[in-house]
Amino acid sequence: MTDNPAILTEKLTKHYGDVKALVDLDLAVSRGEVFGFLGPNGAGKTTMIRTVLDEIRPTSGRASILGMDTHAQSVEIRNHIGYVPGDLAMYPNLTGRDTLTYFANLRDGVDWSHVDELADRLDADLTKKVGDLSTGNRQKVGLIQAFMNKPELLIMDEPSAGLDPLVQREFQKMMREVAAEGRSVFLSSHTLSEVQRVADRVGIIRGGYLIAVERVANLRSKAMRTVNLLFAEPIDPGVLEPLPGVSDVVVENHHASLTFNGQMETLLQAVTNRYKLLDISTQEADLEEIFLTYYEEAGS
Amino acid sequence: MLSTVISKTFLDRWKGEAIGAATLVVLFMMGMSVYRDIDLSIYTNLPEIFRALMNIPADADVGALAYGAIYTSYGALTLTSLALAMGSASIAGEERDGTLGLLLGNPKSRTYVLVSKAANVILLTGLGSILLWLGGLAVPALLDVNITGIDVGALMLHMFSIAVFHGFLAVAISAWTGKNSLASGITIAVMVLSFFAVGILPLVESLADGVYAFPWYYFSGSQPHVNGVAWGHLAVLWAGIAVFAGAALVGVNRRDLRSREQGDGIVDRLRSHPLTQKVVERLAGSARVSRIWTKTASEHQGVLIVVAYVMFLIMGVLIGPMYNAIDEALIELAGVFPEGVLALFGGGDLSTPEGWYQIETFGLMTPIAFMVVTVMIGSRALAGEEASRTMGLLLANPVKRSAVILEKTMAMVLYAIVVAVALFAGVTLGSLVGGLGMSVGNIAAATVLGMLLGLVFGALSLALGAATGRVRASVYGTIGVALISFVANGFLPLAGNLEGLAKWQPVYYYLSSDPLVNGMNWLHGAVLLGLFVALVAAAIALFNRRDLRQAA
Repeated sequence: MTDNPAILTEKLTKHYGDVKALVDLDLAVSRGEVFGFLGPNGAGKTTMIRTVLDEIRPTSGRASILGMDTHAQSVEIRNHIGYVPGDLAMYPNLTGRDTLTYFANLRDGVDWSHVDELADRLDADLTKKVGDLSTGNRQKVGLIQAFMNKPELLIMDEPSAGLDPLVQREFQKMMREVAAEGRSVFLSSHTLSEVQRVADRVGIIRGGYLIAVERVANLRSKAMRTVNLLFAEPIDPGVLEPLPGVSDVVVENHHASLTFNGQMETLLQAVTNRYKLLDISTQEADLEEIFLTYYEEAGS
Repeated sequence: MLSTVISKTFLDRWKGEAIGAATLVVLFMMGMSVYRDIDLSIYTNLPEIFRALMNIPADADVGALAYGAIYTSYGALTLTSLALAMGSASIAGEERDGTLGLLLGNPKSRTYVLVSKAANVILLTGLGSILLWLGGLAVPALLDVNITGIDVGALMLHMFSIAVFHGFLAVAISAWTGKNSLASGITIAVMVLSFFAVGILPLVESLADGVYAFPWYYFSGSQPHVNGVAWGHLAVLWAGIAVFAGAALVGVNRRDLRSREQGDGIVDRLRSHPLTQKVVERLAGSARVSRIWTKTASEHQGVLIVVAYVMFLIMGVLIGPMYNAIDEALIELAGVFPEGVLALFGGGDLSTPEGWYQIETFGLMTPIAFMVVTVMIGSRALAGEEASRTMGLLLANPVKRSAVILEKTMAMVLYAIVVAVALFAGVTLGSLVGGLGMSVGNIAAATVLGMLLGLVFGALSLALGAATGRVRASVYGTIGVALISFVANGFLPLAGNLEGLAKWQPVYYYLSSDPLVNGMNWLHGAVLLGLFVALVAAAIALFNRRDLRQAA
């Protein structure tokens, strides 16, 4: 069983009436990796997750988790996964600990020292009723619920919603630890920075189609960035413009700003050969710009 | 200026009102067509006192009978229930959903929101009343029944008033407390108790005057469909409405709005108290979430306690001694009742204790009590978890969908058993206290059949929830089927040629064998049990093949 991919979908398709929410999705998530699933709202991320969890049934195609068919063996699969739904809702009248006990009982028990450790790391209050918690604190209970049985595969739909930056960092560490232990994480998100930080690979989905699957390192180099350069002396825009991956060059005296899509090393080498570079700052492209990059590629 | 909130609320709710009214018009048509075909002398030969009780005028004709039987009971209860549901949700519903803060983030006052919501109670109840009015005039014309002497307009004006009265009571409680379930709970209790009191108090000589204390009296006491508008009675109702409106205005403006905090129940308080913490933790904390069925059973305890209490004390124990206090004249005259006349009212015969209990306790109240608990769980079980978006999380655990249904069904059966035990104990005790000497075995038989009937409707709501994932579809669908079954059960046997049709609905298998007199009818029990099992099986099949709904 351990040789099977964590998630494997073959031509997975889901239509809601005339709406094609998911079209011929072929995807393999390996053991021991954090896989980021990126896409704008309504791209089909949640539909994909709900389909492999057997909440909804594919129109055509099939999917397996850990080598088991997502429909026929769905109950067995759920012994091995942890799940954080998007827009998490829980039972408002139960405390955090009651909630975890309830789910633990459905799984024939759980290691409570591990639960306490998780609660500690995420700074979660398990004594309050879930309905009385703020969004972020409620989310922590949801995360513990998913992590507590040390699942082979974690499937999480926008899990960082409402978490403060400190907790987000801890949560990202927890995801990396899961991968380090040979387990897998499937992380759906529209926050590029988070995915870049934790994921090994990303899949990009739009309009129900999987546009690309890339290693994060490659994605970074493909990403458009705005680069601001400050030099010791006034510079000539003609030096920057011909460089590969450079566009939209604006030069004002000592300062240059440009849009860059390529290896940072080449850019730096080219400019430092000619001028003395005092400062550099880069602004990451947002997700939309990356999509544009991909669309442009698809068009050309 | 009030148009926005009014129109949104109106659009949210008008369908329910229209469907409710349309269902009643259909029932009315059924009733009237049956009455048209039967020999009415059985009614006109009744002693005066009975006719008064059953809202039958001395010169009874088809029209008066049908309006009296359908509109003044089922019609008024339905219209009132819709109004009080609207009233309870008015302020508290938006608070519960966390949308009130958003609404009040706009430059509109609390008074504006309250007035809009209250106006809707009047508008929608008015819509329902007008539909019933039109139906009440159209059906006789269609069936070619002469309704001279029937004042449909007066009846509808009274019905509109009693519905708005309860609606505004609910608005007032909702505005003062911000608690939706409290508002609907209290108002339903007022409605049911007063409906019940108006039926029973006039029978008991020493208590007959007590009837003036109950709002329902000012709706039906004057028999408006025969005697026209009783302005004095209407004035009482509208004075009450004005008081409730004033109270609501004061209440909504003086208090803090609730955030989405959860109220603390008794168990929660005991759990946080150091003295009781350990024991309660063991009993309630971990036990409550140990299984799906225990969690489900823990969620509606309040309603269960109220229903079990009412069935034990009021419908059980109190009814017994009351039998001895009934007007002697009534019992002496009871022999003249033709068989079947009382079928509509539960089929009992006042001359025996069994008949008395059948009319007052088993006829209508027992099925309603069982249905309250079974349909509550049945509709919330699947559709409720989907609506609150917890079903996905629950099913991410290694449990089968069928197991979820079976455990929820277990909770439903448990609730039904609790009500059954309370009812059985109450009636047995009532019979003892009143010295009525009823057979304990027969009381048990009637209780078990009633419980099975309640479970059939509970399983129906489960199946509808499994098929649609929508709480409203489940609740209203079940109530619709139940209403039609009860009316069919009452009316079809009256028309000789249609009697056989009555067997095609579940209510027939509850009291038709007269279990309080004849004991258990095992065949009928088996039919109900079979129906229950079949509906649960259907729920499993329907739920297994369906996509879960996404956040609604």
